Amino acid sequence: MGPQFNRRDAIKRALAIGVVAIPSASLLSACASDSGSDKPDKPAATGAKSASNPLGVKKGAPLEAFIFKGGFGDDYVKAAEQVYNSEYGIKVKHTGTQGLGPKLQPRFASNTPPDVMDNSGADNLDTAALAKENKLQDLTPLLDAPTVDDPSKKVRDVLIAGTIEQGQFGTQAMYALNYAFTVYGGWYSSKLFKEKGWEYPQTFDQAIALGAKAKKENISLFTYPGKYPYYVHFDLLAQIGKVGGKEVLNAIDDLEDGAWQVDAVKQVIGYYEELAAKKYFMPGSEGMTHIQMQTAWTKGKAAIVADGSWVENEAAPTMPKDFDLAVGPLVGSGPSDKLPFGTIYAAAGEPYIVAANGKNPVGGMELLRIMLSKKETDNFTNTTKSLTCVTGAADGLSLTPGLASASAALKAAGPNVLNSRLQDWYVKLNQETLGNLTLQLLTGKINAAKWIEGAQKAADATKNDSSVPKFKHV
Amino acid sequence: MRHGKYRFIIGFLAVPVALYAVLVISPFVQDFQISLTDWSGLTPEKHYIGFDNYQKIIHNNLFWKALWHNILMLLIVPIVTLALGLFFAFMLNVGGRRKGSASVAGVRGAGFYKIVYFFPQVLSVTVIAVLWQQIYNPDPDDGLLNSLLGHVGLTSLQQSWLGDPSIALACIMAVMVWANVGFYVVLFSAGMASIPAEIYEAVLLDGANRITTFFRITLPLLRDTVATGWVYMGIIAMDGFAFVQLMSVNNGGPNEVTDVVPLLLYKTAFRDNSQYGMAAAMGVAMLIVTLVFAVLTLRLSRRERIEF
Amino acid sequence: MTAETVDSTPGPAPQGSPPKPAPDAAAKHRWRGEGIVLNVFSHGFLWVWTLMVGVPLLWALWSSFKTSGDILAHPWSLPTHPHFDSWSRAWTKAHMGRYFINTVIVVGFSTAGTMLFGSMAAYVLARFEFFGNRFIYFLFVGGMAFPVVMVLVPLFFVTKNLGILNTLPGLILVYIAYSLPFTVFFMTSFFRTLPTSVAEAALVDGASHTRTFFQIMVPMAKPGIISIGIFNILGQWNQYLLPLVLNQGNTDKWVLTQGLADLAVQQGYQGDWSGLFAGLSIAMLPVLAVYVIFQRQVQAGLTAGAVK
Repeated sequence: MGPQFNRRDAIKRALAIGVVAIPSASLLSACASDSGSDKPDKPAATGAKSASNPLGVKKGAPLEAFIFKGGFGDDYVKAAEQVYNSEYGIKVKHTGTQGLGPKLQPRFASNTPPDVMDNSGADNLDTAALAKENKLQDLTPLLDAPTVDDPSKKVRDVLIAGTIEQGQFGTQAMYALNYAFTVYGGWYSSKLFKEKGWEYPQTFDQAIALGAKAKKENISLFTYPGKYPYYVHFDLLAQIGKVGGKEVLNAIDDLEDGAWQVDAVKQVIGYYEELAAKKYFMPGSEGMTHIQMQTAWTKGKAAIVADGSWVENEAAPTMPKDFDLAVGPLVGSGPSDKLPFGTIYAAAGEPYIVAANGKNPVGGMELLRIMLSKKETDNFTNTTKSLTCVTGAADGLSLTPGLASASAALKAAGPNVLNSRLQDWYVKLNQETLGNLTLQLLTGKINAAKWIEGAQKAADATKNDSSVPKFKHV
Repeated sequence: MRHGKYRFIIGFLAVPVALYAVLVISPFVQDFQISLTDWSGLTPEKHYIGFDNYQKIIHNNLFWKALWHNILMLLIVPIVTLALGLFFAFMLNVGGRRKGSASVAGVRGAGFYKIVYFFPQVLSVTVIAVLWQQIYNPDPDDGLLNSLLGHVGLTSLQQSWLGDPSIALACIMAVMVWANVGFYVVLFSAGMASIPAEIYEAVLLDGANRITTFFRITLPLLRDTVATGWVYMGIIAMDGFAFVQLMSVNNGGPNEVTDVVPLLLYKTAFRDNSQYGMAAAMGVAMLIVTLVFAVLTLRLSRRERIEF
Repeated sequence: MTAETVDSTPGPAPQGSPPKPAPDAAAKHRWRGEGIVLNVFSHGFLWVWTLMVGVPLLWALWSSFKTSGDILAHPWSLPTHPHFDSWSRAWTKAHMGRYFINTVIVVGFSTAGTMLFGSMAAYVLARFEFFGNRFIYFLFVGGMAFPVVMVLVPLFFVTKNLGILNTLPGLILVYIAYSLPFTVFFMTSFFRTLPTSVAEAALVDGASHTRTFFQIMVPMAKPGIISIGIFNILGQWNQYLLPLVLNQGNTDKWVLTQGLADLAVQQGYQGDWSGLFAGLSIAMLPVLAVYVIFQRQVQAGLTAGAVK
């Protein structure tokens, strides 16, 4: 008799933990009200503010960093954590990983997120949705804090123009600090172009003429990774902005009615249709990963690829020593374009976010402030061959060919820097829906008119989908 | 005796049922509850919205398309895998030249084949995906498959494989088959080895050739084993989303031809504006379809003494 | 090899098995001619599949001795001078050794647990009538249709509430729970096929139900336990999604699939292909070695379970 009842009780208890802990009335409260030790309503750690500690970090308070470990690795963050450790007498808990979405989501839902995260890479969490749900710390205190190197300067004064906007989601609050600054464009081997006597094209016509020349040499003008067709959009979207002006690009970002049905879009998409019809895209690109496509490109099978400045690091294993990597600005229609040749697409990437209800949001911001110091940005640029979002941070460093070219292009562009927000505001629309259309356009399965029609339809559908949070340029 | 019996039943069921209830059933019940809400998965807040999510799914073309791909996988992958497994096992055990008085014989080196065929079984899906991405690389020099075709003069058969909408899904299913055949070769040939040769000798007299032998003797005797394999392959095919996620171009592309419900669910839950409620509804809908499908298959395959 | 065991193996006779006179010479001769054709044919097919399986794996193995640039630029070339640094990189930096041990621990305990609890539940469900028997049975069986991806988030909370999140015991319990449906399903039908007389005799002799189960039924069910156990070992060894979400804490506790996924993703960004292939070889070779050493036992186990 006895043992039997005990067993029953044991079953009941076991069931209670799993099933009864989710009262149907407010089932998610169960998720929030777990163990107790890490309750969200526990006050965040703060300490006294001082000149060397302007944000008021509490000494000895734990800090957790959850870092996307991709093309840049995570050593540059670890270096900054060292500084933080010695400054505040604590060891930062560091996780370097990929595929952050499924790992971070339950932690946000249970109000126990890491303090600072680099929410980047494939399968990351939707930063826009996090911002919308008030899960993120407004980083304005960080922007208004003095820099590590010069107490007379505020952090906001040293960031490259556009960095703050890149972290905004429809309001003045900045939720993400995009640490790495990426220059996009047509990447090519200067050596190959010199050998063949080619000029980097300025207009669509010149590009098509170059395509014919290259084809004679058995080289394809362009390649792209079919696995990630949105690489093509790095050029394509910005080209729409170059031809039609920033307003046209902003209208597309804002999902305005008929935004895709303007002349600038027709010119640009028509150009891609022609490239596809003349078979100037490397055959097989549609089935390649970015690594496979970059390998073919470094072998000289294709001349130009639309890519970001990370390509220098990523393609390093196969890039010949004398490749002499360079980046060309956006190709457009010609003098009728709203913006001159030399216009580029550049944007800050690697969104660092701080959890609003973490245990130590102030510490999270402080770590970012340390990362923005000269010592850390130099380290980042030297080790990853990439620029940071700090103005002039690369000055005085010896740059690799690709980085030097990107840096020069950025300088030459002056104010003519474009940025399409579609990519981070409406990830699915850009990557998948438009990506699928682009794949079909580039393989000659649909024409430009069909692409435009499909893009408009997809944008309208996104606009009318109440589950998608909307953003507007401010 | 009676008392002992119930004590025994409860004692034996307690741990498995408790484990199962807590770790499997309760998350599913929660998921059903979540599917009736607009939960984002990011905050503790959520609101009941009734069956709105289900209504949206019914009108979502992509969901039906993805479900169709799931059903295709569920039908084709197990059939092809088991058929190849049986075929190779039969070859190994009955395909050999006879020695002496034995009427059937295995091929020489059967042990070697069984070892090699088993190899993919010990690879995790991430590794298989990486390997096959190199095989499917469309580059005529770097891609293993295309360069092989080039070397034997079959340039016209070179494809962009995963990038070609007409064959992308087939390419992924082929990998799933590749990864699983080996186990069934070993499993089925173990079964065939235990069929007494006298039985083969008997049908010999009826003038049967090897093909009829296979259908009249081997298959009926292996029925239970095949059924086990069928169910297990069904589970693998349903979970096949990892293959799609890792290998397909554009996350279920090109042009959505490889999208499957679990991948759609995954994207909806973790990426596309974090609509966990919607994703949960997709899961429930898929569960219902799978259960109906499973019941139908079992009904159809349940004959004779196999009792499920 | 089948022929030699014929006389001593009673073997289960198929329904309506014909009488067994000695096959006449003509029929034998016909089989022989056919056998030669079939022999060539079967060796051909068997070799094609051998190459399909062997080449990619050998390629991965020899690639691990090349530099990353070499792998991508000259995928077919043999390593010029072997680079072992990728192996030491995979072993030390990617901790493949530690993941391997973790995986052995997790899969060892979880397969043992699955078979123990699965058999206990299956036995009770197969042999005893009691209120709720069918309900519990279908609850288990229905679990086979549950897509795991759907429960990830609720399961995360359940394990967190139980305090077993990011622990190896937690992972073991989850593996057991998710392997139960398949195991219970097949062990139930297996126990039903076993004769009841022995167990009844033991009970009459005064043995308890528990003792009867462990001392009489388990040995009788050994073939079934072994073959379903092998299914479970393979399934749990390659489990990909569950550890990714439920065991994401300290890398000290990672299992192989996580380490390999990490290497695979990493390679996509940093191009450390030789490290990836070395890691994959480290993960693959010991399992293959174990399989090669124990393949006779594995096959014996499967043979016994295959044809009932």
